[in-house]
Amino acid sequence: MSGVPTEALKRVPLFAELTDDEIGQIARLFKVRRFRAGETVIQEGSGGAAFFVIETGEANVFVHSEQKTTLSSGDYFGEIALIDEGTRSASITAASDLVCYGVTFWDFRPLVESNGAIGWKLLQSMTRLFRAARES
Amino acid sequence: MSEAVLLDEAAEVSLFGSKAVGLGQALRDGLPVPPGVALAGPIVEAVASGEEDAIETVTNLVRPLGGPLAVRSSAVDEDGAEASFAGQHLTLLNVPSWEVLTDAVSEIWWSANSDSAITYRQKVGLFTRPSVGVVVQVLLDPESAGVMFTQNPISGADERVIEASWGLGEAVVAGLVIPDHFRVDRSGRILESVPGLKKIAVRTLPEGGTFEDPIAPELQEKLCLDEARVGELNRLAERCEHVYGPARDIEWAIADGTLYLLQCRAVTRAGA
Repeated sequence: MSGVPTEALKRVPLFAELTDDEIGQIARLFKVRRFRAGETVIQEGSGGAAFFVIETGEANVFVHSEQKTTLSSGDYFGEIALIDEGTRSASITAASDLVCYGVTFWDFRPLVESNGAIGWKLLQSMTRLFRAARES
Repeated sequence: MSEAVLLDEAAEVSLFGSKAVGLGQALRDGLPVPPGVALAGPIVEAVASGEEDAIETVTNLVRPLGGPLAVRSSAVDEDGAEASFAGQHLTLLNVPSWEVLTDAVSEIWWSANSDSAITYRQKVGLFTRPSVGVVVQVLLDPESAGVMFTQNPISGADERVIEASWGLGEAVVAGLVIPDHFRVDRSGRILESVPGLKKIAVRTLPEGGTFEDPIAPELQEKLCLDEARVGELNRLAERCEHVYGPARDIEWAIADGTLYLLQCRAVTRAGA
């Protein structure tokens, strides 16, 4: 069965302004992706086109080879790549066997392009995050 | 047009990818390719999405193959003239049975959307939605396997170059051994045979996946092909060139005494 539980997406600041129905449309785009313990999930500096929410397992986050934190069930990463096609700002390695839900840039973009309401709310959320980052 | 077909029915590159269609053409021309199934990009994505109809369609087609299986990507733009995705997309050897095929197909779909594949796409100016077909074949348990160029890829000389080792061809392709090296003229006469150093063979595990099996010392520097086998490979090269055209890069294996063609594509010349 495809799709990520919508509760997991409601915790993502980027999606904070979206209604349940809009969250549901995004949730249906997700596919399950499994990683084995020790496998590199994303690599700092490389291109990226997918956003992931962890279903089960743990993953370690490294920036410049220094471990920063450990992610577990319900945590998420890579959401900015859905929008800017930029490079990954951290490396993430599966600390155990890891099951994630992932959505790609290729699936996300057409939904936003065809739904102005979702696009506007994402823009509002991005602006809020930008303002918070500037003021911190 | 069905999106899941027996390999010998795979004919549209834009649906099934060049690898699947190449193998389908080989089967149609009577070349010795292991039996298999070709899945088009859309049904691969549907399986990765967990769509039950798609999973049932694929399962019903693959079940008669039994197992173990080799599951390979066949990206629509793979091995093209503009950019080669060889190495970017996944091959899963020894998927134990059709029952775990869904996970394998999903893994291959994601390999086309991995960070490394995306980075490569950006680098070669192909930042477009990937479409990945899949080839599912019976996995052989070969005595020996390797690669063959129907024309010398370094010098361009009109001669076959064969590299061979014990077990699965992954040992040669992944550079895990120094393979036996043969040069053969078009009549089948061996011009040169140089034993390699083959300390391991890649073999299948009962629970899935592969392992590196140590080779007995007396076999490590013993040629894994005799003159008759080299002659058989030369005839396979001739048939492949007849079907596909000159200068082919072939993957082959010998299992239960039979020579099989696993892949046939255009030679990429060194420095090209």
